[in-house]
Amino acid sequence: MQSEPRNPTVVEKLRRHLISQEGVLFIIMLVSVLFLATRTDKFLTVDNLLQQGRFMTEVGLIAIPMTYIIITGGIDLSVGSILGLTAIVLGWSWQELGFPLELAIGAGILSGTLAGFVNGLFIVRVGVPPLIMTLATLALFRGLAEGISKARSARGYPEWFFELGQGEFLGIPTQLWLLIVAVVVFGIVLARTQLGRALYAIGNNETGARFSGLTVNRYLLLIYTFSGFMSGVAGYIFVSRVSTTRSDMGTGIELDVIAAVVLGGTSIFGGTGSVAGTMIGVVLIQLLKNGLALSGVTSDATIVVIGSVLIFAILVNNFIQTRRGGN
Amino acid sequence: MKKTFALTLILALLMALVSMPLSAQDRWDGADDLAVNPLACGMGDEMMEDSDEMMDEDADEDMGMMEYDGGQPAMMDDDMAGMDIVLVDVPKLVGIGYFAATTLGQQQAAEELGNVSVTTDAPTEANIDDQIQVIDAYITQGVDGILFAANDPVAIAPVLRKALESGIHVVGYDANSEPDAREWFVNQAEFNGIAKALVDSLADQMGEDAAFGIVTSTFTTPNQARWIAEMWAYASECYPDLTWLETLEAQEDAVLSFQQAQTLINKYGEDMDGIFAMTSVATPNSADAVQQADLCADVAVVGLATPNGMKPYVNNGCVRDVILWNPVDLGYAAVYVTRAVVDGEFMPGDSSVMAGRLGELMVVNGSEVLLGPPFVFTADNINDFDF
Amino acid sequence: MNKDKSAPTPRHLLDFLGIALAVVIIGAYFLLPFVIQPERGPSTVAVLTESKNANELGLFKTGLEVVPLAALGMLLLGLWNVLAPGAARAISLLMALAGMLALVYYINFFRETALGPPNEWGEGTIIGSLGIAFWIMLGASVAAALQALIPRSVPAPRYRLAKLFGNQESVILFGLLLLMIVIGLANPRYLQERNISDNLAGNAYIAVAALGMTMVIVTGNIDISVGSLVGLLAVISGRLVVAGTPAPLAWLAPLVIGGGFGAMIGFLVAYLRIPSIVVTLGMLSIIKGILIIWAQGDRVRDMPADYFLSQMRPLGIPMPIIIMVVLTIGVALWMRYSATGRAFYALGGNVEAARLSGLSRRRLVMTVFILNGLFVGVASVMYSTQFNIIQATPPPALELSVITASVVGGVSILGGTGTAVGSTMATLLLNFIRSAMVFINVSPFWLKAVQGLLILVTVLADLLRRRRQRL
Repeated sequence: MQSEPRNPTVVEKLRRHLISQEGVLFIIMLVSVLFLATRTDKFLTVDNLLQQGRFMTEVGLIAIPMTYIIITGGIDLSVGSILGLTAIVLGWSWQELGFPLELAIGAGILSGTLAGFVNGLFIVRVGVPPLIMTLATLALFRGLAEGISKARSARGYPEWFFELGQGEFLGIPTQLWLLIVAVVVFGIVLARTQLGRALYAIGNNETGARFSGLTVNRYLLLIYTFSGFMSGVAGYIFVSRVSTTRSDMGTGIELDVIAAVVLGGTSIFGGTGSVAGTMIGVVLIQLLKNGLALSGVTSDATIVVIGSVLIFAILVNNFIQTRRGGN
Repeated sequence: MKKTFALTLILALLMALVSMPLSAQDRWDGADDLAVNPLACGMGDEMMEDSDEMMDEDADEDMGMMEYDGGQPAMMDDDMAGMDIVLVDVPKLVGIGYFAATTLGQQQAAEELGNVSVTTDAPTEANIDDQIQVIDAYITQGVDGILFAANDPVAIAPVLRKALESGIHVVGYDANSEPDAREWFVNQAEFNGIAKALVDSLADQMGEDAAFGIVTSTFTTPNQARWIAEMWAYASECYPDLTWLETLEAQEDAVLSFQQAQTLINKYGEDMDGIFAMTSVATPNSADAVQQADLCADVAVVGLATPNGMKPYVNNGCVRDVILWNPVDLGYAAVYVTRAVVDGEFMPGDSSVMAGRLGELMVVNGSEVLLGPPFVFTADNINDFDF
Repeated sequence: MNKDKSAPTPRHLLDFLGIALAVVIIGAYFLLPFVIQPERGPSTVAVLTESKNANELGLFKTGLEVVPLAALGMLLLGLWNVLAPGAARAISLLMALAGMLALVYYINFFRETALGPPNEWGEGTIIGSLGIAFWIMLGASVAAALQALIPRSVPAPRYRLAKLFGNQESVILFGLLLLMIVIGLANPRYLQERNISDNLAGNAYIAVAALGMTMVIVTGNIDISVGSLVGLLAVISGRLVVAGTPAPLAWLAPLVIGGGFGAMIGFLVAYLRIPSIVVTLGMLSIIKGILIIWAQGDRVRDMPADYFLSQMRPLGIPMPIIIMVVLTIGVALWMRYSATGRAFYALGGNVEAARLSGLSRRRLVMTVFILNGLFVGVASVMYSTQFNIIQATPPPALELSVITASVVGGVSILGGTGTAVGSTMATLLLNFIRSAMVFINVSPFWLKAVQGLLILVTVLADLLRRRRQRL
């Protein structure tokens, strides 16, 4: 086989493919937004959109490492439990152990990172498939959160602590800045760096990547740890936003995150996907939820619409991509 | 070989971790550092009378001690008194019988008043974040009043304060928030009253030396935690011989409730005389577990549940007492209270409010409207209710 | 590994000795009550018809002197034989564990009789602890007999028994027995018949749903919508029967509708080529929304008495256990021996190979999702007929329980491997673990953590086994 010219064409193809897929999704998003805007004049206002940005930050932050992981063909179901564990460690080390709050925040995020590291370690060193490992730690980390907290919630944080979750910076919700920076940085990391290329290579053919000399294990360990870290940060933001800690925080968030990632065009089989696509997915779901609520649709009907849009968007995208591929 | 050894070591360590908590056998009594306020001892028959008496005393004391501690909405330009108002009701979640009943009561009140319209919208799971987002959307949309049942008292507070700031009236029911985040809270029955009714019923059925287990939703659910804490306080004061065996979590899961009740039955066998079930899912399913084990005579199930869910078990005699307030009345009262607040007929400092067919409701604890003493459903009256 | 293929060795003689001991125990189990208390009728028949009567018969009490000794012999023999290679080791281990379980029964029996009159937990029936020990011994001795009788000239890879015991099922079975032994020693009541039967029956509906899930995962797909679908079908079935539909029709309706939903999902996955995780994530919300809008939180009640399928006890065995066992065996055989079943593995393992072998990928995916829908239908009937009230909400996080059961049972999420027996046993193991934690007084706050840890241990044990096999 001609190994020399093969690489660039594959990468090029891949890139073209990706761009168009996000393009289609973006159009779907625009159409939905315009449609919702005709239904109610409360929807398309700066205040409301910024408020939605506040609400979607946690899911958005976790969706970045999830995109990385799904690109490598893996999955992380334990993110919601890690979020809960982080929140509990934060509150417990502050209130029960008497840590200064700054240190408690560090301890919380560190425990989240450690949880992600444990996931990665077992996946890489022991060879537990990611789905099974994170299913087990989904129960384990939630259990740890419950055990540590003994069903007590930590409340009564000082005012400055809420700045991140409830405050504003230059007129934009504080945490949204964090999300924007993270999306830009990690979007570039995925698209432009060696790490990004390695992740795609692992997703396309893990054995091949191994044989071509990539340190696959190190990359995998890194992204699962990264996933724990981001879930930890999201946990901190969440506590700051709702001003209390409970061990059941973040339950079920993994499905929201995965829905956003696959809606964003990342293939569940690995090898394709982008942070930009994921973010369009996150934004689309959040705006649909909010826009429908504002136009008087109740939550039970809203989840029906969101489920349908999820299937429909992928369907349209599939259709367009195959036609494009045919021409 | 080395790897095998290493793995065995990991397994051994894990097993050690597993056995570690075995020694930690702490019994959970729901006492989340909460102040408890047990009522005076007394048996079931005198309960209604007793608690009325107690309430008067309490009310007198409270009047003297408790100032109005609720919040106030920002002033609006136009006076809404007597005008048509639009309310939104955000319970913990939709799709369960209990909140379907409160919704029914709200619709009844709206129909009676004629100048109120209420819609119910809430997340499909009892999730604190989703509830916040639903409320936020209605603030943006602009309603005249929000009725809520909080999934978490603290987490919901910021968004409710935001509602007050935008001039929206906020009234809670079923599950409270921080007091200053809403104007009034319609209290279905005081925690200590529920606890007393539950414990009295068990002591009456199985004797004052009965042993019992508890099936609750989760340890973190505020209402359940408060009830259990009050039960603990009341039982240790009035029935010191009651044996408190174990409390198990069952979420709001029918099958898990059934299985946890079975586990209690199998674990304690003849040593257990009763099960307290703390949710309207846990109670029917615990009763089912007892019934399917043929132990209706040996294990009394006492719990909080809506009558429709308990009719099969009460009618066949397996369960004697089901304790609850009337959730239809609760929803009904919440709408009447909101209407009175909007009309300016119910102000901070008032000691009572008129609520349609329910008559005059008393104010307790500063800014709570008390629906009344808990209601005991038995085979005699359960078929008169349909919710 | 197979140095001693030919000529009978001392180990073979030991196998025969083991079989003889097992025969003694099994004989005692079935025959002793018959011999010693003839006036009360044949025990085997009693056991198979009415468990209550079997309890009154006082099985085993009469054989107390013989059986524990034989069980001890079995245990020692099994332990000694564990050093043997290959399949013999697995069989011996199984025998040893079954022997231990039987011994625990007697230890507890004597412990309790020494303390006072025996409770109901002391009885053993076909689904009690002793019963289970005996059924396992029976199976193990049949396997041992086959092992001893089959000529060793058969090449190792085709040696069926070696495959039979060198897999995740045996790991889970060992785990289950070990758990019963340890917890049984710590708290005798764990092994009472009612608890074992409750634990077997309680999660049977999850096991049935996991059978469908196993097939779906074997083909390299996944179904996240099962939880919502079970909730919806249960309410449909309940409302039908309350409206006057005959019970059998109300049992059948969820199967038909479940199959319909399965066909829809299958169509979207197979013909419109949307990944199954996307389709079922969408369906999860759609079905849940429909259920909540339609049912309005109104619980279904007042079902007629003949509707409660799961509460029936033919032959004294709870119906869910029967359905679960029958379906598990059926699916296991079907997947192993039918052309379609084998094609599922081919599809998950290597799509290209499946195409080359002339199988239509699309038809297979359709088939597997329709089958999955049928199993979800069965599971929802088992769920809806279990209680006198049907909740109008989907069972919380059911899809996670089902997927956990499947993957702990040895199904690889990448497709290609996995068995029905493994997924059912994993479901049982998870349920036994849940109640075991309560029986040994694990702090309620740590219950979930310990459960998660045990799931991890089970998975690790499987990996350990695979590594050793590879060596």
